[in-house]
Amino acid sequence: MMEQKRIAIYGKGGIGKSSTASNVAAACADEGYKVMIIGCDPKSDSSITLLGGKRIPTILDLLRQKIDVKEEDIVYEGYKGVKCVEVGGPEPGIGCAGRGIIVAIQKLRQMCKSIDDMDLIIYDVPGDIVCGGFVAPIRKGLVNEAYILTSGEYMPLYAANNICKGLAKIDTPLSGIICNSRSVTREEEIVRKFSEEIGSKLMAFIPKEQIVQDCERDGFSVLEKAPDSPVAGVYRELAHAIMSNDSSVLPSSLEDERLRELTR
Amino acid sequence: MAENDISIIHPRPSSIVAALYTLRDLNVDVAILHGPPGCSFKHARLLEEDGIHVVTTALDENGFIFGGREELSTMLVKVNEMFNPKLIGVVGTCVSMIIGEELSEPVKDANLDVPVIGVEVHAGFPNNTKGVLIALESACEAGVITDEELERQKVLLTEATNVEKRHGAASKEYLVPSRGDLKYKVAEKVINYLKEGKKCLTIMNAKKETGYMFADITVAINEVAAQLGVADNVINMANVDDTLGLPRVRQHATYIMNDFREKGIVIHEIIGGMDEYPIAGELVSKLIAEKYSDFDFAVITGVPHAIPMDNLQNMDVISVTNGPRQVFPLKDMGHSNVIVEIDLHPKTLGVNNIVESEFGATIREVVKDMQNAEEA
Ligand code: SF4
Repeated sequence: MMEQKRIAIYGKGGIGKSSTASNVAAACADEGYKVMIIGCDPKSDSSITLLGGKRIPTILDLLRQKIDVKEEDIVYEGYKGVKCVEVGGPEPGIGCAGRGIIVAIQKLRQMCKSIDDMDLIIYDVPGDIVCGGFVAPIRKGLVNEAYILTSGEYMPLYAANNICKGLAKIDTPLSGIICNSRSVTREEEIVRKFSEEIGSKLMAFIPKEQIVQDCERDGFSVLEKAPDSPVAGVYRELAHAIMSNDSSVLPSSLEDERLRELTR
Repeated sequence: MAENDISIIHPRPSSIVAALYTLRDLNVDVAILHGPPGCSFKHARLLEEDGIHVVTTALDENGFIFGGREELSTMLVKVNEMFNPKLIGVVGTCVSMIIGEELSEPVKDANLDVPVIGVEVHAGFPNNTKGVLIALESACEAGVITDEELERQKVLLTEATNVEKRHGAASKEYLVPSRGDLKYKVAEKVINYLKEGKKCLTIMNAKKETGYMFADITVAINEVAAQLGVADNVINMANVDDTLGLPRVRQHATYIMNDFREKGIVIHEIIGGMDEYPIAGELVSKLIAEKYSDFDFAVITGVPHAIPMDNLQNMDVISVTNGPRQVFPLKDMGHSNVIVEIDLHPKTLGVNNIVESEFGATIREVVKDMQNAEEA
C-alpha cells in the first residue's frame, strides 16, 4: 500500500488555491485514488465545485449549534467519491478563526475513521497565515507535504517567498511550486527561476483559461465539466506529478532585491 | 530566549485579579469575569467572603471560537435580577481579550439601569498594577471616580511598583520563601526591651484590608507596655487617614480607627491613607528625624520594605510582613528580625474589626508566662 499523502497548498489569497485543490482532487479521483479535501478557509468554498455547486454544513457551524457531530454530518461525498469537509469559521470580526481550525481538525481526526483509508488528503488552507491556528494542520503533524501556488506577479511571489520563510521556521519541507498563470510576460521562466533559487522545483504551469472560470461558476471542476479541454490535461499532469513526487526540501528564501530583479 | 531576557521567574499576581480587587475597593456589588470558568477562582472565592459577588461567563471552546457576546449580556441580566446591584464590574480575561471581545456591546444589549465598569484586562502584564490602572481608568470613564482620584492613584501605583523593585519581591531573580524568625523569641525580645524602659516606635504601614491584622500588633505592644507601666515609652504611627482613597479603602481606615479608639490606643502620627503605603515612608523618615531619633527600637508592620532605612540606622528594627518572599529582602535592608503573618489575607477579608494576629497573640501569651515565672 502506498503511503498516505497529506498535502497543504499555500499561496497568496485569491491566487486560485481552492480551484487548483479541487481540480487536483478530481483528477486523482479519476485515477482511482481515494481522496479527501479539507477546506480550512472560513469562506468554505474549497469543495463546492466537487459537489455540483452545493454548499455543505461546516464543522464549526455544527459546533456552534452545539450539535454532537458525527462523521456523516460533516463528510460529504462529491465527484467520484471525493470526500469533502469544510471547517468553516466564526462570523467575520468575531471570535477566533485560528482556534476554530485547531478545534475543528481535532474533531475531524477524532470521529472520522475513513480519514486513515485515504490515499490523498488535501488541506486547502487560507493564504494569509495570520496566527498559529492557521498553521495548525502542519504543526499537528497532519500535513507531510506542502506546495506553494503563485503566479509570476510580484505580490504573489512575495507572499510565496514569505511562506518559504515560514515553512523553514516550522521545519516543514516544501515539495514544489505550482504556477497559476495570470498571463504575465515571461511568467513560466520567472516562476521556474524562483523555484530553483529557493531550492525547489516547478510542478506545473497552469495556463489562464476562461473555461476554468466558467466551470467554477457553474459549480463544477474542469475535470468534470470539460474533461477534454487542454487545461484539464494540465491538472491531470499536476495530479500525477504530486502523486509520484517523493522529494522535498527545506526552502530557502530570496532577498527582497533579488525578488524584484526576478520580476522586472 | 536569551538568559538575559528572563525578567520574571515567579508567576506574578495576575492583572485580572488586581482588577477584581480594585473593583471591590470601588464597592461594586458584582464582578463578572468574562472568560473561562476556572479563571481566578481562588480569588473569586476570597472576594465572595469579602462581600462582593464574583461570577463567570464560563466561556468554553465554542466561546473561544465564536465569542461570547450573548453569554455576557445574559449574565448581566441575570446578576441584575439575582443581586439587585448598584454597581457592576465586567472583567476581561486572556481568552476574551485575545479573541477580541468587546465589553461595551453586551452591556448595551443588556440595557440595565445600573452603571457597569468594563475592564479590558488580561493576565499578560509584567506588573499586575496594570490591572488596577485599567480598572481605575474604566471607572473614571464610567464616572465612578474623579479625574483627580485617578491621578492620585496613578502616582501611588507607580510608587508601589518601584517599592517592589527596590526592596520587594520583584527585586531579586529568585527568592526562597521563608517563615521568618520564631515569633515567641521576638516577642520575648520586645517585652524585655519594654521592661528595660527602651523607647518603642510602632509603625503600621499596611496595605488596605491587611491593616485589620497588622493593627493588632500595635494594640498588643501598647497593651503590654501599659501592663508594664511604660505606656508613655511607645509612640504609634499608622496609615489610617480615612479621608483618602477609594470608598472601601476609606471605610477600612474608619473601622480600624474606631477600634483603636475603643481600645484606648492613641495614634500619635497618621502617616497617610490606607492606599498610601508606597509613599508613606518619606513622611515616616521625616518624622523620625524631627522627633523620634533617640528611640531604641521600631516595630514596622504591613509593607515594611517601603520605609527607608536612612533614619532607622540607630534603632533595632523588627518587622512583620505577610509575604514569605519578603523575609530575605528585609534582612538585606538591615532589619534584625522579620516575622511572617501566614494566611493573613483570608482572615482579613470581609471583616470590619481588628483581627488577632499571631504575633500579637504571642506577645500577650509570652508576657503572661514571664509574669507567672516571676511570681513563682
Ligand atoms: S490564562 Fe488567563 S484567562 Fe486563562 S485562567 Fe489564566 S488568567 Fe485566566
